[in-house]
Amino acid sequence: MEHNNNNNNPNRNPNPIRNPLSSSAPVWPTIDGALGLTEEDSVSYARNFYNFGFALLPLLWAVNCFYFWPVLRHSRSFPRIRPYVVGSAIGLTVFTALLCSWALTFSLGGERLFGPVWDQLVMYNLADRLGLTTWS
Amino acid sequence: MAHSSSILDSLGEEILRIITPVSICMFLVVILVSILNSNSSSSFSVSSIATIAYSESTSDSDWDKFIGALFNSLAFVFFVTLATFILVLLFYFRCTRFLKLYMAFSAFVVLGFLGGEISLFLVQHFDTPIDCVTFLIALFNFAVVGVVAVFMSKMAIVVTQGYLVVIGILVAYWFTMLPEWTTWSMLVAMALYDLAAVLLPVGPLRLLVELAISRDEEIPALVYEARPVNHHSFDARTDAVTQRRLWRNRRIGDDDDDDSNLNVNSVLNSNMDEENVLTSISNTNDPGRIRGDINLVRENASSNSNLNSNTLYDRNLVNVEEGQVRETDTDVSTPLIDRGVTVRLHGVEDSASSESLMLEGIGLGSSGAIKLGLGDFIFYSVLVGRAAMYDFMTVYACYLAIIAGLGVTLILLAVYRKALPALPVSVALGVLFYFLTRLLLESLREVIYNFYELYIIDS
Repeated sequence: MEHNNNNNNPNRNPNPIRNPLSSSAPVWPTIDGALGLTEEDSVSYARNFYNFGFALLPLLWAVNCFYFWPVLRHSRSFPRIRPYVVGSAIGLTVFTALLCSWALTFSLGGERLFGPVWDQLVMYNLADRLGLTTWS
Repeated sequence: MAHSSSILDSLGEEILRIITPVSICMFLVVILVSILNSNSSSSFSVSSIATIAYSESTSDSDWDKFIGALFNSLAFVFFVTLATFILVLLFYFRCTRFLKLYMAFSAFVVLGFLGGEISLFLVQHFDTPIDCVTFLIALFNFAVVGVVAVFMSKMAIVVTQGYLVVIGILVAYWFTMLPEWTTWSMLVAMALYDLAAVLLPVGPLRLLVELAISRDEEIPALVYEARPVNHHSFDARTDAVTQRRLWRNRRIGDDDDDDSNLNVNSVLNSNMDEENVLTSISNTNDPGRIRGDINLVRENASSNSNLNSNTLYDRNLVNVEEGQVRETDTDVSTPLIDRGVTVRLHGVEDSASSESLMLEGIGLGSSGAIKLGLGDFIFYSVLVGRAAMYDFMTVYACYLAIIAGLGVTLILLAVYRKALPALPVSVALGVLFYFLTRLLLESLREVIYNFYELYIIDS
């Protein structure tokens, strides 16, 4: 008779993250759990994401942190992956802070702060001048 | 009964996990269309392959527009067929690496250029004081991470799914910029072409699917894969055992103890503007454990100037079992998101023709999850976006028609268990409901206006 074994055991934890030694330490380093990467593959992925993020790609750092969220949350597991993910998180916050401060200064300061340069830098004027929004 | 209720649950959950992204794509395209097209009545139209035969202008007569639209869609179908046959040839000669690179390039062009254009439209519409540096950095990030997400084999599932939906939205919006008659005739032509390409033995999609099956490979194309429904907790320590829900087909007379074979045709939806082909092929290997591969291939060619060939390749595991399944076959134990599919999207700038390799069709992934080709996303969204250009009542009607068509397609697949084109049903229902609703609204407006004239004005 085919029965799901878990039907008979309502106490079984649906959370797939289990460890015989500690109940809070995850086995899978990625947010997808068993559908994601194993720990060995994760090291190269985390390292590549971290390194390529330096090419003005903070979104790659963000994806790195998001994907390896269990690594960030559980500070003592996955010692090989952790430095890359933490580095990505730090890089992300720094870059986002810089970019946001610049963007906000630009949009709120306006012409009063920048003078005539503002009109040249703002995107919709640039689009009109370069004809970017006419299709063909 | 625990079995039947959980099967219904899982079936509903699986279907929901496919209908949700399709609905999100359609919804966002409708929003884009209603925001950006509120002022103009498409005074500029895109010149692309789809308007190569005739450029519609508002001053032409209806008959001229009709003939012109017909020629346009014929030319488009021709280019899509050509592209599909080229795809079959490349696949036959195992140029998989080239195809994948091409798809990554296409994805980059779509996300970068098309996404940039549409966000520029939005910036101009809302007068957002964003500067070019921030804008360029954001766009660059968006495009590069998108290419990584759809191209690399292992990425966060949510990110990949999100980017596939975004690609669908961008291409669909671009298609709604076609002139009206051309859009509708192109949709109908694509549905018919899909029908032909799947059911005829010389159809390119059918050839592609059979080739992929015989080689036991995945077709490189863009396919949306839903997260598999997993009702059981599994033992994380043992990788060999994975629990997953497989489709179960109950044979009449079988009792619960036997494995039953269920062939479920999954429709892979790929974005191909031209063709949607659903092919389902089921193989049963051994009577004890039934595994069937159902490959649904749909090719859709999309983009006016692009030849999109979408082929969906979906393999359905015929065996549906509750409980633990020991995966001995490496194919089966590969994780959910199978990166074998890539989508090629061509840039749609100027009159450059872009080819999208988007597969259409619904299928089941190797882990039992539903795969939908991006072409279906695009064509459904084009239909609904066009409906949004008239009125919101047509949007509701077309949305319901498309979802109903999707359900009918799944049922037909389960019944016939062979290659079926998935696009025609939804497009036929959608087009029918659009014109009916439009007719109804026009007559309703006439009635109300006459009533107003007769009774309100005079009194």
